Parts: sequence; structure tokens; C-alpha cells
Amino acid sequence: MSNDGTIHARGIRKSFGYKTVLQNIDLDIACGEVCCIIGPSGSGKSTLLRCINGLETVDSGVLKVNGEDFGYYETDTAYHALSPKKVAAQRTRVGMVFQQFNLFPNMTAQENVMSGPVLVKGTHKKQAAERAQELLASVGLGAFGDRYPAQLSGGQQQRVAIARSLAMDPEIMLFDEPTSALDPEKVGEVLAVMQDLAKKGMTMVVVTHEMGFAREVSDTLLFMDEGVIVERGAPREVLANPKERRTQAFLKQVL
Amino acid sequence: MVQTISHGSGNKIDRTDPALKPRLRRRGVFEYVAWVVCGLIGAGVLVSVSTNPNFKWDVVAKYFTYETIINGLMLTIFLTVASMFLGTLLGLGLAIMRSSRIKPVALTAGVYITLFRGTPVLVQLIFWFNIAALYPNLTIGIPFTNISTAVDVNAVMGPITAALIGLSLNQAAYMAEIIRGGFSAVGKGQIEAADSLGMSGATKMRKVIIPQAMPSIIPATGNQFIGMFKETSLVSVLGVAELLQSAQLIYARTYETIPLLIVASLWYLVMTLLLSYPQSLLEKRYSRATSSLPRKAKKIVLTEPEGVAR
Repeated sequence: MSNDGTIHARGIRKSFGYKTVLQNIDLDIACGEVCCIIGPSGSGKSTLLRCINGLETVDSGVLKVNGEDFGYYETDTAYHALSPKKVAAQRTRVGMVFQQFNLFPNMTAQENVMSGPVLVKGTHKKQAAERAQELLASVGLGAFGDRYPAQLSGGQQQRVAIARSLAMDPEIMLFDEPTSALDPEKVGEVLAVMQDLAKKGMTMVVVTHEMGFAREVSDTLLFMDEGVIVERGAPREVLANPKERRTQAFLKQVL
Repeated sequence: MVQTISHGSGNKIDRTDPALKPRLRRRGVFEYVAWVVCGLIGAGVLVSVSTNPNFKWDVVAKYFTYETIINGLMLTIFLTVASMFLGTLLGLGLAIMRSSRIKPVALTAGVYITLFRGTPVLVQLIFWFNIAALYPNLTIGIPFTNISTAVDVNAVMGPITAALIGLSLNQAAYMAEIIRGGFSAVGKGQIEAADSLGMSGATKMRKVIIPQAMPSIIPATGNQFIGMFKETSLVSVLGVAELLQSAQLIYARTYETIPLLIVASLWYLVMTLLLSYPQSLLEKRYSRATSSLPRKAKKIVLTEPEGVAR
């Protein structure tokens, strides 16, 4: 059975110095599943996401992405770090969308989308350009390929960023508060693109404060606080009838 | 400006419409005093310089385009360009080493930069000129074989070579800091984005970090270039016949010290002014406020309606 598009984590621990930011995280995400993570800031939800993409390394625990140990290989006694080349190869299968978009300002929208395939996979430029154009069209920006990021609105930039990640044909897409830096009017256009992606069967992990999106689109919802997963379940269930005190208190504030 | 405004009663008064009156800057007493004092000082200096026969302006004019002086100028230009070129290349290498995650590599670059920035260039130049005292013979050979050639360091390390090595190595330390400063101006998010796409270190450097670091590196490099032009005068102590040394050689013979120093100074001034112009253009082009958009993108006007997601 193929494990593509799955995430499996058991007992993940991560600390920055003395501060423990993730502890005892168990996670199982199936192929095509959409998982939303909510929680207050500093609860470790972004760190968890960044671990799945290798921007942070976990201190201990099992982390399998697409069925492979991420960033490490396992021997009888320990996990050994993989070479940068192999980590990079694993990363190409996991797309990441950032809160601050992080488009390359020295490249046009199209060049941004092409950057992964051309610079990393060595795809032919012409082919990559065609694919980039298709992807930009699919996020509603077909006519904006020659614009530079500074000439695009926040919502447009974020859609280009999504297209850039998709250009690598990832099995999993991670979204780190993709709409938090946008003005309220532009949130909808980004969420629409994400909803579209979810319908197409992409495995998605979304850290978000958009409760409406979490309710409508996600299959599972995690509530995190102080580095642990406090509550998890079907989104409607968790949002309507939270069982834990902490979840109730949080939802009371945000809903 | 003067308009006739009629009032309801029918009286006509000539006066300026208040909305059109110019707003004048306030001039304090200090401003007038400053004009007078600075004007007097300027006039005094000018009169003194033009009437004092010891300046010997005719001698200045005679030597300004003298062959020895022009040759010296050419050597100065060569030293500037060559040591800036070598220094920048080496500096780029040092900057990359300095930002390496591997401790000994970063530390080596750090020590180099500290040593070369922490000691005077003049001392470094004399040091390289006398390196033969430390290593009289340089043996180039293949390890574990008998194939080797010995080089007499004294013969190789002529004044110009020493000057070039001294200036380049010193410049490299400064350039390394400028380039590293440019690197650190590139946002952390950019590097994370490149990482998440799986870019290798070299690709990340070439396509993401360096293009974005350029706007802060280029103007500073222009400044270094102008500084280096004047710094080359230090190599006159090694007996290199650059601009200052050429002037010194002449006045050692003719005792026209001041006029020849003026000749050299004028050439330094002319070259610095010539270099300042492109430098100010560079600074404008890469100034912070406008650098968010790449140059070729600035013509596009934002008029089309925004794209909408399906």
C-alpha cells in the first residue's frame, strides 16, 4: 500500500532551549485528508507544521511523512540525519505556504512559480513556463504572470505562493496561517483556492484562525495549547461541543 | 496675484487673495551672520591663495599633465581597480564562509576579518613587503614526491606585488563585512521559502540571497572604491611610483614640494569627483524606498482590475 500523502507522528518532542514547544504529539493524517489546527499563539501549532516540512527538526519521536522518516534514517540504535540533498528531495514532496507569502521579490509571479521546477528539478524552462501559466490560471491569476510581487495585493501574492508550492507537485500541502496577514476582504479569495485544492484530494494541514473554513472544509480539527494536542475530532463536533475546559475557553473568545 | 475682491457693500479693496499668498521661510539672525562670516572666510582664503607667490600656480600647471605624473596616475588607477576586484572576490568568499553553519569555517573567516580590519593598512603593506624576512624561500611542490621548485620570496615580492597583495587582502576584510551585511538584510522568510522548495545551498545563494542583497551591497562598494582610490597613496612608502610617489620623486629633485603636492591632490580630487557621480546614481537606484520593485518593473502602471479566485 502506498503511503504517499500521509503523515504519521508519534511522541514528538521539540524544545527551544529550556522552553518545550511540542510534547507528546501523536498525529495520523491519511491521504487526501484535510486537517486544521487551531489554538492560541505560542501553542506550538506553527512549530508542528514547520517540523513536517523540515524547517525545524524534532528532538525525539517518530515522524513519517509520505511514509518515510523525515530528515533522518533509522538504525537499530538511533536516527541519523540525512544528507542535505536527500532532505531537499523529501521537501519537494511537501509544499509550504507562509503567513508572509515569502515570494521572491526579484522574480515575476510566473518566475516565482517556475523557480522550484527549474532550479530544483531541472525542468525545461519552456515546459515550466507553460505549467506555471496553468497553475496561475487555476488560482485566478492567469493575467498576472509578468507582475512582480510588489505589484500584487496580499491576496494575490498568497495565491501565487500557493501556485509556487503546487508547481513542485507535492503530495502534501502545509498552510501556516495563510490568511492572517491579509485584509479581511482578501481572505475569501485565498480560502476559495484552498477549498478547491481540498476538493481535488490534496492532503492538507492548515494552521488557521478561520473557524468557518475549519468547519466547512476540514475532516479533522486539532486544538493545541502549550505544546500539546488538547482536543481532536470532527470539526463540527469540536467547535459545537468542545469537551475540554481549555477548548471551551478558547472557542468562547474567538467565536 | 493681486485680485480685486468686492465686498457686499460695494467698496473695492486691492489685495492678494489669502489662499494664493506664498508662505515664506523664517530667516533668523544667525542665518544672515552665517552668510557674512562664511563669505569673509571664503574671500580671505581665496585672496591668500591667489596672491601668495609660494603656491607657484605656474609650476602646478606645468606638472599637471607631466608624463611622470600621468604614469603615476595610471598606476594608481590600476592598483585601485585590481585590488578592488581581487578584494571583492575574496570578500565574497569570506562573507559566505562567515555565514557558514560549520563553526571552524565561520571562525576562520572571523579571525581573518578581525586581524585585517584591526591593524593599520600601512603596517600591513610594509609587512607584506618584508615577508621574505619570515619566509625567505617558498617551496612549491607535490607532497610525498621530490618534485618541487623553490622560489626566492625577495625576488617575487616586488613593491607593486606587495602593494597589490596588501591592499587586496585588507579590502577583502572590509568587503566581507559589507557583503555579509547585505546577506543578513535578506529576510529569514525568503530563505525558508527557498528551503521549502528544496533548493540547494548554492542555488539559494545565487538565485535568492545575492540578487536581494545587491541593493545594499552595491552603494557601499562604490564608497569603498572611492576610498581605495585615495588609500593607494599609502603604497608610496614601498617606493611604488604611483601618483603621490611620482610627485614626491619630482619635488625631491626640484624642491617644489607644495606645488607638486597640489598637483597630486588635484588629480585625487578630480578622480574622486568623477567616481562620485556614478556612485550617487547607484545610490539613488538602489535606495531603500524604491528597491522593493525591480528596476524593469517600475514602468508598469497598476490599472487593471484585480484577478479573482474561482
